[in-house]
Amino acid sequence: MRKNYEKQLDEMHTCLIRMGALCEDAIACAARALLEGGEETRMKAISLEHDIDMIEREIEQNCVRILLHQQPMATDLRHVTVAQKMITDMERIGDQAADIAEISAFMKGSPVKSDVHIADMAKATSKMVTDSIDSFVNKDLELAREVIAYDDVVDGLFSKIKGELIERLRQDNTHAGECLDLLMIAKYFERIGDHATNIAEWVLYFLTGSRQNA
Amino acid sequence: MKRRIFAVSFILAALAVAVTSVLITLAAYRNYFDVVKRGAAAELSYVGAGVSEFGAAYFDKLDTQDGRRLTWIARDGSVTGDTEADAPAMDNHLDRPEVKDALARGVGESTRYSDTLDAQAYYRAERLRDGSVLRIDITVQSVLQSFNEVILPIAFIALMVFLVAAFVAARLTRRIVLPLNGLKLDEPEECLVYDELAPLLERIKEQKRELDRRMKTLERRQAEVSAITENMNEGLLILDSGGTILSYNKSALRLLGASQANPMGRHYMAVYRGEGLRRIVQEALRGNEEPGAAQEEAAKEIPKEMPKEVPKEKPQEAVLSINQYSVQVLASPVREGRAIRGLLLVLLDVTEKQERDRLRREFTANVSHELKTPLTAISGYAELLTNGMAKPEDAPTFARNIHKDARRMVALINDLLFLSRLDETESSSEKSDVELLALCKRAARNLSASAADRDVTVTVSGEPATVTGISTVLEAMAANLIDNAVKYNKQGGSVAVEVHPTKSGAALTVSDTGIGIPKAEQSRVFERFYRVDKSRGGAIPGTGLGLAIVKHGAALHNASVELASGSAGTRVEILFNG
Repeated sequence: MRKNYEKQLDEMHTCLIRMGALCEDAIACAARALLEGGEETRMKAISLEHDIDMIEREIEQNCVRILLHQQPMATDLRHVTVAQKMITDMERIGDQAADIAEISAFMKGSPVKSDVHIADMAKATSKMVTDSIDSFVNKDLELAREVIAYDDVVDGLFSKIKGELIERLRQDNTHAGECLDLLMIAKYFERIGDHATNIAEWVLYFLTGSRQNA
Repeated sequence: MKRRIFAVSFILAALAVAVTSVLITLAAYRNYFDVVKRGAAAELSYVGAGVSEFGAAYFDKLDTQDGRRLTWIARDGSVTGDTEADAPAMDNHLDRPEVKDALARGVGESTRYSDTLDAQAYYRAERLRDGSVLRIDITVQSVLQSFNEVILPIAFIALMVFLVAAFVAARLTRRIVLPLNGLKLDEPEECLVYDELAPLLERIKEQKRELDRRMKTLERRQAEVSAITENMNEGLLILDSGGTILSYNKSALRLLGASQANPMGRHYMAVYRGEGLRRIVQEALRGNEEPGAAQEEAAKEIPKEMPKEVPKEKPQEAVLSINQYSVQVLASPVREGRAIRGLLLVLLDVTEKQERDRLRREFTANVSHELKTPLTAISGYAELLTNGMAKPEDAPTFARNIHKDARRMVALINDLLFLSRLDETESSSEKSDVELLALCKRAARNLSASAADRDVTVTVSGEPATVTGISTVLEAMAANLIDNAVKYNKQGGSVAVEVHPTKSGAALTVSDTGIGIPKAEQSRVFERFYRVDKSRGGAIPGTGLGLAIVKHGAALHNASVELASGSAGTRVEILFNG
């Protein structure tokens, strides 16, 4: 009985790691689709979103099953509740990565994207997502705190990109549509950063048992 | 065991108490009976003396109590007097055993259960001098009755005994069990508390020695295996069927970019969570879904040359790009019977191999392209000439072009041949002492015509310096460097060739006042077919192999090549070491 329970918990944990890996892939694909173009990577990002939704449902069911059948206590209960919260954030990351990939289709060969710091932003958010998943996998308290602190960097990049786009529109409005698209993409990246922060906060809660002042 | 010891001592105590109390009661009863008998005899003799002296008057005055009754019986058996009952009403006593005995022998006694009194009675009769019989009758307790009286003290004693027995049993069991509990299995001989334990301890000692021996063997074997796996460049991961890591080596962690210190016993996804690895592990763990028996037969018959047809026996395989590595993953399921018990993953670093493959593909593409370009031109001109479509006055120009392209091809093929010879030449192949200054002068002289064409002056200066090497290769290197310096020079520029002996060998420097090489291209100019000027067959003819020859030649002579270039010109220095 106990063994079965532990197996279920392990399975859930592995599924979470896998979902995290899929999110990393999704955001990497979205960034590639944006920066290098390419129909294939774009489609990959969108199909990854579907995979992420599927695995979210699977984890959801696992959690409910564990809660109903095993009535977990203490750390185990925290594990399950944290999992339920984390998958929501991961699922949002997947959605936004797919959104970025979709918008990227309209930005083929646009000169604007190389002028602003969107590549830096893609890299920074990718790092945040990877680190937040790493902190969960390795139960790394320090790394989780770093991720939360790193959100400021991403926020800073967002306002920087916004400023650059405003400046560009003021001087020359031939690429106005692309500028707006880029602003949206930057916003999506910023949101992904927020979700990564949330994940890191859940990791903190999972490890320490106390909610941070978020 | 404890309970057994307890129960046994309890039963023993209970038995002892029961037997003792029965025996004591019996003995006490006998004693009591004796006392009663003796008392009866004494009483009877006193009363008998009285009766003999004073007759009936005395007897009637007798007053008995305490369960005693006197009966005076006449010689014929009729009762003359009785202290309790009405004498005349009593029946003849001649048939009573004690009376019979008394009449016959003087004294008689018997013990009977008297229905009248509902008690045990002791009778003693004595014949008096006148022939009549005096009988005393004493009611006595039965054995059971007397037992009833002692039952209370016995119960008390039994309780005490039980308490003492319980205490002793508890102490005893503790004394027996305590040393057993405290037995230190590591050094059994120190725990010898009582001799009875000795054989057990001896056995334990023996088994411990055997165990130690086996452990040591196992450890040694483990050490051997881990020494092998730790020192191999290939990554090794062993997973159980659930995906938990059972064994790993350092290379595996390095190739997977894992940060954990000890991933033992963790899920492989915690080490590397990429989708590629997951898919291959999943695939391998599932194994091949039971193929039909016939198919299996067929699979056996397929010879080794067609491995694609029998994926069952082939490990799952994929090339993943993880961080900066290209990693080839081979996953073979570990089977026990039909069931898959685990997975053996071998990770191979194929980064270099893939890089080499890429370079080779590029080289082949370049060579065919370089050869095709002049050939296309030649065949075009030749076609025009054959068809007679060329005007007679154009024919010499065409022929010149054909000649030029043919020369270019020959030069290219020569360079290629030279390079492939360099590739095959071992650095240990026959070398001789070569004097560099004279060699450079010779090379400069050979190129003086083309230098003059471009109005470039070539000067060779320095001191004679001798290196050990292959003179044809060294000359080709010098020629290529000077040729490049001339070709990529400005009108009226100059090329300076200097040769100096150094402490460890010699230095050959070629500097020009030419157009220079852009910074971004400097690292690539030594690649085969790489040309800064991308327009092939442009203003400056060349094969794109010159600097590649210089680089390979230098490597063959254990020399280093330094390139410094700017807008003012290019300077290439070759340093020979020994």
